[in-house]
Amino acid sequence: MSTRIRLSVLQAAAPLLAIAFGAVVASGIILAIGKDPLEVYGLMLRFNLTRSDSVAAILLKATPLTFAGLAVALSFRANLWNIGAEGQYAVGAFAAALVAFGVHGLPAPIHLPLAVLAGVAGGALWALLPIVLKLRRGAHEVITSIMMNYIAAALVLYLLADVFRDPTQAGTPRVRTPLFEDSARIPLLRPVLQLVGIGIPEHSALNWFLPLGVVLCLAAAYLLARTRFGYEVRAVALNPDAAEVAGIRIARTQFYMFLSSGAVAGLVGLSDVLGFFGYFDIDFPKGLGFLGISVALLARNDPIGVVPAALLLAFLDRGAQGVQVFSGVPREVITILQAVIILAIVVGYELVTRYVRAQRKREAELAVVEPSYVGVEEGG
Amino acid sequence: MELLADLLNMALLASGVRLTVPILLTALGAVYSERGGVVNIGLEGIMIMGTFFGASVTHFVALALPVPGAEAGATHAIAPVVGMLAAMAAGVLFSLIHAVVAVTFRVNQIISGVVLNLLAVGLARFLNILFFGVATQSPGISGFQPWSVPVLRDVPALAPIATGVSPVIPSALILLGLGHWVLLRTVFGLRLRAVGEHPLAADTLGINVVAMRYAGVLISGALAGLAGGYLSIEQGRGYLEGMTQGRGFIALAAMIFGNWWPFGALGAAALFGYFDALSLRVVHTRIPYQFITVLPHIATIFVLAGFMRRAEPPAADGIPYTKEET
Repeated sequence: MSTRIRLSVLQAAAPLLAIAFGAVVASGIILAIGKDPLEVYGLMLRFNLTRSDSVAAILLKATPLTFAGLAVALSFRANLWNIGAEGQYAVGAFAAALVAFGVHGLPAPIHLPLAVLAGVAGGALWALLPIVLKLRRGAHEVITSIMMNYIAAALVLYLLADVFRDPTQAGTPRVRTPLFEDSARIPLLRPVLQLVGIGIPEHSALNWFLPLGVVLCLAAAYLLARTRFGYEVRAVALNPDAAEVAGIRIARTQFYMFLSSGAVAGLVGLSDVLGFFGYFDIDFPKGLGFLGISVALLARNDPIGVVPAALLLAFLDRGAQGVQVFSGVPREVITILQAVIILAIVVGYELVTRYVRAQRKREAELAVVEPSYVGVEEGG
Repeated sequence: MELLADLLNMALLASGVRLTVPILLTALGAVYSERGGVVNIGLEGIMIMGTFFGASVTHFVALALPVPGAEAGATHAIAPVVGMLAAMAAGVLFSLIHAVVAVTFRVNQIISGVVLNLLAVGLARFLNILFFGVATQSPGISGFQPWSVPVLRDVPALAPIATGVSPVIPSALILLGLGHWVLLRTVFGLRLRAVGEHPLAADTLGINVVAMRYAGVLISGALAGLAGGYLSIEQGRGYLEGMTQGRGFIALAAMIFGNWWPFGALGAAALFGYFDALSLRVVHTRIPYQFITVLPHIATIFVLAGFMRRAEPPAADGIPYTKEET
């Protein structure tokens, strides 16, 4: 087997091995609570793959995860640690909600994009302070962006409960904004899918944000791999000193990447808010920003890898629900499984990278010392 | 004037002292870890493990050792001690994951720490379901017998601070002094700092870089676990999901503010502890309570933004060490 094939096999095998390792650890836990792991995994596979509502639910759950994973990956690619996607998407979703219920009389082709832009602006705004403080004052973005998460949660709660609460709900336990205008709702995918003969359950909220997320990932991949800006980002991440010597403005590149990360994070909550609920309430889904970190790590910060990684986490999430209902195994087992897979995969990627580097070094040394010998080996 | 009197109120300061302790202990742990060259973002997750194991072990020991002859609800004095030790042990075990992933396998230290935090949340929920049937809280427990500072307790003005003191508070101050001495005056401290400043030079002198870094990370785990145990046993009287409230991250800010030295961290921890106390006390203000609760987090950002210029982290902080590639 030639070295190149061996390396690509290794790279493809790393995620699979990590998943297997996670499954073994989770099996230990499942055994410890007196259940049969094979039965639980079998149940999960059947529940996820043989029911059409499961497939739709997985795709729906993968939608926000795609945006969250892409947001985090964009910052990680530039060696910036945006742990603040959690707060950025809360602010973004609330900003979009403001436009969705507060602006009246616009046609959908203007109202919906306006609401989406508000989400983008809200996310970017919440990313602004951490990156400015990092570039200007040297404050570490990990800590400041985490602090911004807590502040975002408090701010959104205040605006929701004390300022923009739907007055018609006063006196009820429901704390939510007024209903959105129909013109700000994201259209569902179901009518289009039915046209091409794919049936999905009637109540599924699967919407146009899923294809939008995939397109955004492809666009980001193109931007990073094929444009001058993408080249600058890679240079800054790989070797800041060399990039600086080459005339790349490091601070500017980092600023744009961090803001883009926040802007994409601003889209995370919109599939749920504008596509499904039609109002913003106190039980708005939380934790998607942190799941985005898992998605990005699983995808190795590759925008194209974000899509399958989001699907995998959505698959596990849906499976966790099925397992909890039908076999009584707490869904937290699957949360642990996810974290173990992520740990195993970052170790796996690191080992593969190191192996590749060692291989290349050995080949380079061989090529220098015995060029003819290497030629024979490759020919045979 | 009245506001000023409110802000310097003795009960508030006493509460500030109590809330300084978990931040101080964790920041002290972070000093050990980062002086050895390992950034530990996972301290928040380690604290979560400490809160859970501290409270649940205290609960089970109290159940196993009923106090003979006392009224119902009385707890054997040994229970919180065992709980604290369990919290420390849990912290050490959990930080071992960070050491293995970040030191042995040389995965990026920030990534490893972030994953540790994700794992802690799921693990605590799962174990809580397993032990107590619900995901988010443990049964209530009793903590240590409170203690009064001799002499000071007789001064009426100081009574709120000098009475009802948790024995963990003086222990934390002793650990602080010990940390200062260990890092500056012992061979171990010198070696730990050497592998954080210039691991290659340390290696050349025969210091085992990996072993020293493991030591730094595990000590930080023990201290953050202890801080978590203090939160759930002494402050919360039971485990509650999310009770750490980002204090692990705030402690990292305190360590940075303290320029990677124990006594520097004390100053910042006291400041954050004070804001923490303030946030628990919704005095008669017109500011919405949501903004009062995030005072410590806002203060953290201000501190990081204002005082980072003079920061002098250990030279090799955050950089994995490997013999063959340098």
